[in-house]
Amino acid sequence: MTTKTAFQYSHTIGFLANRYKGFLHPVDMVIDSQGLLYVLNRVGPEVGVRIPYKRITICTVDEEYLGEISTGGMGDGQMWWPSAMAFDSEDQLYVADEALNRVSIFSKEGEFLSQWGVAGAGPGQLDRPSGIAFDSGNNLLVTDSLNHRIQQFHRDGTFVGAWGEFGDGPGQFNMPWGIAVDPAGDVYVADWRNDRIQKLDSGGKFIAQWGSSGEEEGQFNRPAGVAVDEGGDIYVADWGNERVQVLNQQGEVLDILRGDSVDSTWAEDYFLANPDEGAARRAADLEPVVDPPWEKLRETSANVEKLFWGPTSVKLDGQGRVYVVDSCRHRLQIYRKS
Amino acid sequence: MTQDTALMAHLLRRAGFGATKDELDQYVAKGYEATVEELLHPELAPPLDEDVIRRYHVDQNSLMYIESCQAYWMYRMINTQRPLEEKMALFWHGLFATAYGKLNHAKAVINQTNTFRREGLGSFANLLRELSRDPAMIFWLDNKDNHKDAPNENFGRELLELFSMGIGNYTEEDVKACARAFTGWTIRNADYMSIRASRDSIWPSGRLDWQFQYLPEDHDDSEKKFLGHTGRFNGDDIIDIITQHPASSWFIAGQLHDFFISDTPNEAATQYLTEEFRKAKGDIRSVMRSLFLSDFFRSDEARFARVKSPAELVAGTARLAGGRRFPEWSIVNLSNDANFMGQEILNPPTVEGWHTGQEWVDTGTLVERVNSATLEMGDATKPGVQTIIGNIKNKGPVLSPREFVEACLDEVGCLTVSDSTLASLESHAKTQGDLKFRDSDCAEERVTEMLQLILSTREYQMA
Repeated sequence: MTTKTAFQYSHTIGFLANRYKGFLHPVDMVIDSQGLLYVLNRVGPEVGVRIPYKRITICTVDEEYLGEISTGGMGDGQMWWPSAMAFDSEDQLYVADEALNRVSIFSKEGEFLSQWGVAGAGPGQLDRPSGIAFDSGNNLLVTDSLNHRIQQFHRDGTFVGAWGEFGDGPGQFNMPWGIAVDPAGDVYVADWRNDRIQKLDSGGKFIAQWGSSGEEEGQFNRPAGVAVDEGGDIYVADWGNERVQVLNQQGEVLDILRGDSVDSTWAEDYFLANPDEGAARRAADLEPVVDPPWEKLRETSANVEKLFWGPTSVKLDGQGRVYVVDSCRHRLQIYRKS
Repeated sequence: MTQDTALMAHLLRRAGFGATKDELDQYVAKGYEATVEELLHPELAPPLDEDVIRRYHVDQNSLMYIESCQAYWMYRMINTQRPLEEKMALFWHGLFATAYGKLNHAKAVINQTNTFRREGLGSFANLLRELSRDPAMIFWLDNKDNHKDAPNENFGRELLELFSMGIGNYTEEDVKACARAFTGWTIRNADYMSIRASRDSIWPSGRLDWQFQYLPEDHDDSEKKFLGHTGRFNGDDIIDIITQHPASSWFIAGQLHDFFISDTPNEAATQYLTEEFRKAKGDIRSVMRSLFLSDFFRSDEARFARVKSPAELVAGTARLAGGRRFPEWSIVNLSNDANFMGQEILNPPTVEGWHTGQEWVDTGTLVERVNSATLEMGDATKPGVQTIIGNIKNKGPVLSPREFVEACLDEVGCLTVSDSTLASLESHAKTQGDLKFRDSDCAEERVTEMLQLILSTREYQMA
């Protein structure tokens, strides 16, 4: 690999917690206009005691916990299978839900404002909306995963248009997941089951694609999330390969991140209060060399704590930071462009 | 219903989780022996799509919670195209019963069941070797506390008593020697993992998988006397001696008989399987082939001679109803149903596993069994139910009450019922006369209701 752009691990935010200061199976995060982080906790399974743990956690990049929004449930302002978030130009927070097939809208303070969405396969209907992003015209783009298409809505839910259909050709999709819009208005889609990233123009016309199935450099195994920086470099949460790959517009791999986490401040606080556990932890070997008999990448992630396990989303903050949502490890790993 | 179809239905209830009428027709066209061979080679069928499970159930990616793992396995049982692989995993899980409750590490138990999937039709000796290195088993039966200077006999004792030979075939001295042979077989970071498991407190980044670790400095390498043999045995040597002992072939034969043939012990059938086990040198695939092709298995006496375990009942009914073919959040409700019926998969009550047969059923669990099955089958929008309705409709525009009942029994995996059950079902059907598929006759509702009645019968509770 030619490392043309290198990234340094910065720090980790979060640890496993059912409520408040911590995360539980986070799947996405967004940053508001003031730089606050909103982390979407999908939780699961959907059994009574765990349902209230579904929430959006608000914190800063410096690990200050600020509060929570929403909770689990099927009522207005609640979430069941929350999948993705996006802020509009007025700092209103949009949350997609794959079980309820709707988009809920909150003020950034957490007040529920409205919701829209109808289940189905017709124009404007949804079947597991997995990713959302605002386009340059302040319309919401939704990866309508089981309808294998991208749909475009006004902020009030009025249907604008749809692109794509099931398939593996240019502009076709197979269960798309993450979506991002670059400063020029072009759209990037994590075409999950086609193991590629597609680039479309703001009208949905195919421009380019990167990737193929595999675990080699530049290949993907079910890419889940995508982000694009101002220079056009593309950041891919290569979910099934348990890594993040950074590519340029020519498809050249600039860096591969596999995970480098150390305990967050929130975790350290816990061990300060429970010193015997802290001592046992410090004495333990948390980076064993393993040779799993099956699914080597995934099982290595299950064995080695610092590595990504199920990276579902990657986001950028415009200040050179890369945020990786490490869903099975209940944390964000943050890198800086060096 | 032909005899071929009835036999095939019997095979699929035991080697899998039942089959629909359409599936049975396809199997019958292949033939019984060819179907047995297909079942014995699950590797030839496509694996389950794990990617979609993990995408929609993030908790079934981390496999951190017991409910997530139970739902994951239930989904597997419903959707597998390798039914015997899953059934063998369930069999070995019941025999080598390892429970989440003590481990607080659900994925460790799932990893053990993955070993059963990979090795469950292979060599019994190899399976025991894998099991003795399995971190969940090491934790479950305290082998991490089995030290050279302070042996812990728990694993050694259960290996002999519950996993391979049965009580009466060894002495206390054999137990001690067995335990000493496994000293130093532990898991990495045993102290830290023990603290976390016992408190189940903060795991900052979720669970960490356990790894087997051999500590030679903690292994008792001295001479041991075991089952008449003398040597500086380690765990692998012990397993070699066990698996060559006549008691182990009889023991496994009995376990296979009880799980796959009948709740009623049969010495002749067990003796037959014992001989097949010896001839096959412990190759489980060969033994299973002999079992499924045997007269003991194919006989009328073996049909409906086992009470379905809760997992079998729930998974089989879901397969029949035809839903649950793609990850949905509500799959956890089905695994919870099995829990309520008394079978918490991945969390058996003791190292002895579950008490099976008639003990599955009491007044409370029977209500759960009937309610769960009829709820699953009561949704006429489910594809399997729609297929059944379509098949019955294709039998003709008008069916007499008797024809209607027999058609429904045929569709529920070729169920054979007693004369009195048949009479009761027919009597109910007669209350609304002939079944006619006209818009005004509510035929679909009648079919659905009849299916629910059939699922409530004693016969449907049997495998």
